[in-house]
Amino acid sequence: MSHIKTENLYVGYNKKIIAGDISFSISKGEILTIIGPNGCGKSTLLKTVASQLEPLSGSVYLSGKSKIDITEKELAQKMSVMLTGRLKAELMTCRDVVETGRYPYTGVLGLLTENDNKIVNKALETVNAQELADIYFSQLSDGQKQRIMLARAIAQEPEILILDEPTNFLDIKYKLELLTMLKKLSSENEISIIMTLHELELAKKVSDKVLCIKNGKPDKLGAPDEVFTSKYICSLFDISSDSYELWYK
Amino acid sequence: MNNRKIRYAAMFITLAALLITLTAVNLLTGSVSFSFSEVIDVITGNSTDTTAEKVILQIRLPRIIAAMILGGALSLSGLMLQSFFSNPIAGPFVLGISSGAKLTVALAMIISMSTGIIMNSASMIIAAFIGSLAATAAILAVSGKMKNMSYLIICGIMIGYICSAITELAVTFADDSNIVNLHNWSMGTFSSTSWKDVAVMTFVVVPAFAAAFLLSKPMSAYQLGESYAENLGVNVKRFKTALIILSSLLSACVTAFAGPVSFVGVAVPHLVRSIFRTSKPIIIIPASFIGGAVFCLFCDLLARTVFSPTELSISTVTAVFGAPVVLWIMLRRSANRNYEA
Repeated sequence: MSHIKTENLYVGYNKKIIAGDISFSISKGEILTIIGPNGCGKSTLLKTVASQLEPLSGSVYLSGKSKIDITEKELAQKMSVMLTGRLKAELMTCRDVVETGRYPYTGVLGLLTENDNKIVNKALETVNAQELADIYFSQLSDGQKQRIMLARAIAQEPEILILDEPTNFLDIKYKLELLTMLKKLSSENEISIIMTLHELELAKKVSDKVLCIKNGKPDKLGAPDEVFTSKYICSLFDISSDSYELWYK
Repeated sequence: MNNRKIRYAAMFITLAALLITLTAVNLLTGSVSFSFSEVIDVITGNSTDTTAEKVILQIRLPRIIAAMILGGALSLSGLMLQSFFSNPIAGPFVLGISSGAKLTVALAMIISMSTGIIMNSASMIIAAFIGSLAATAAILAVSGKMKNMSYLIICGIMIGYICSAITELAVTFADDSNIVNLHNWSMGTFSSTSWKDVAVMTFVVVPAFAAAFLLSKPMSAYQLGESYAENLGVNVKRFKTALIILSSLLSACVTAFAGPVSFVGVAVPHLVRSIFRTSKPIIIIPASFIGGAVFCLFCDLLARTVFSPTELSISTVTAVFGAPVVLWIMLRRSANRNYEA
């Protein structure tokens, strides 16, 4: 059975359609990457799948269940997000930030149990950030911040992870490190991942499926090998084959 | 981890010690000074001195308790507004919410005086609450989704000026005898608090504090911003409504009893966060409350004693200590921004 599925999904703000007619499905532990030119509606689609925006029409299904039938708390235990944009998080240590991931599991006052602490520690370990735990979040470099935000998302113990351009602000070393972690999460913990990426060469390596969006319409959905041909990429991004050859070959 | 817990405990103990010390000093000093043993005698009921009894039990003690409760309320109100606007210099006074409350209370007082009805404290609080909510609504309407810290504050100051101007206008046309009364109150003071007032403010502030404490969990999720809070399952709309209602109620209560008191709501939560070195709401909510109580007891002590027998308005003193804190926050912020860019 598909883990996440959308059917004729239309997304946008204030009833204005930004992207529409989107149908895809992925199985447990698969990585779906959404690519396309700037402003094509990638982030809007991602926000709708993550329930930050209401779909204009169509719906999103989790394990065959329409998202409308899932409570906020249940959804929070199933799906976590990592967004672009800088956080303020003033006077919060990295541990404090990661601990917020336990929110859907704690009681009225949000106090952590022994077990919650273990999960937080494990999440920090997964992203190799144990030594950052007691440092203030605001003092970190961008790469370290992304790692902590990933740890926060992992501490939420999600089945599905949604990431909006997770490699933004990162240099090549951290990019590779982050993608390696994501690959590991999907293969070892069977977490399904949906993300947007700008780096095509990385998307090609990391994804199980690629969804291409152009002018608010799904243009192609397929395995990386089918999508990442120079001919198709040139047409998706409206670039001449000459300039593509020049920079990418 | 353990170090942090020790720090929290040490800070709470320090605040409690300050609170007790300031209470004692406030009981002992004033236009008439008493010795420690005299005060103990009065409190334990062994005193034969009726003047001492009256001064300590009927004047000083209720005033001390009012300063504590209202100081705590004000600081908590500021903390919630800061969470709501994700802005460290939001507070009931700088956002004009206190001035809104002052306006409606002044109007209510003038109307009740001219009709010969004496307002009780409950109706004062209701009038202040309406004013607070109206001013908050105005702020929300004007500032909209603006994330810029300075614009929000400018909006607040303008709303404060508008409300103050209308208040002045109303006072100008009120009967002479009313003005004296109104003038004292509108400057802000904890004096002439009765035990009945103390009972009413306790009745409002204690439940509001409990409700605020229960908001510490969503507040901690909300620190990462609205999107993350939503993803964690926080009902953002309900949470923000609760913040506004509680902070308006708390600052309304303060304005109804003591008039507008400046800067406590911004300065105290900030100082508390700095000395506790955390922004965890479950720690900062109670700490801000106690911190507000300490701050207001200290300021009231100065207001009463520095130019005794003349009393300063409480806002004069809180502004002296509170306003520089606001400047400090803004300077540090702009320095950080330069550093980041």
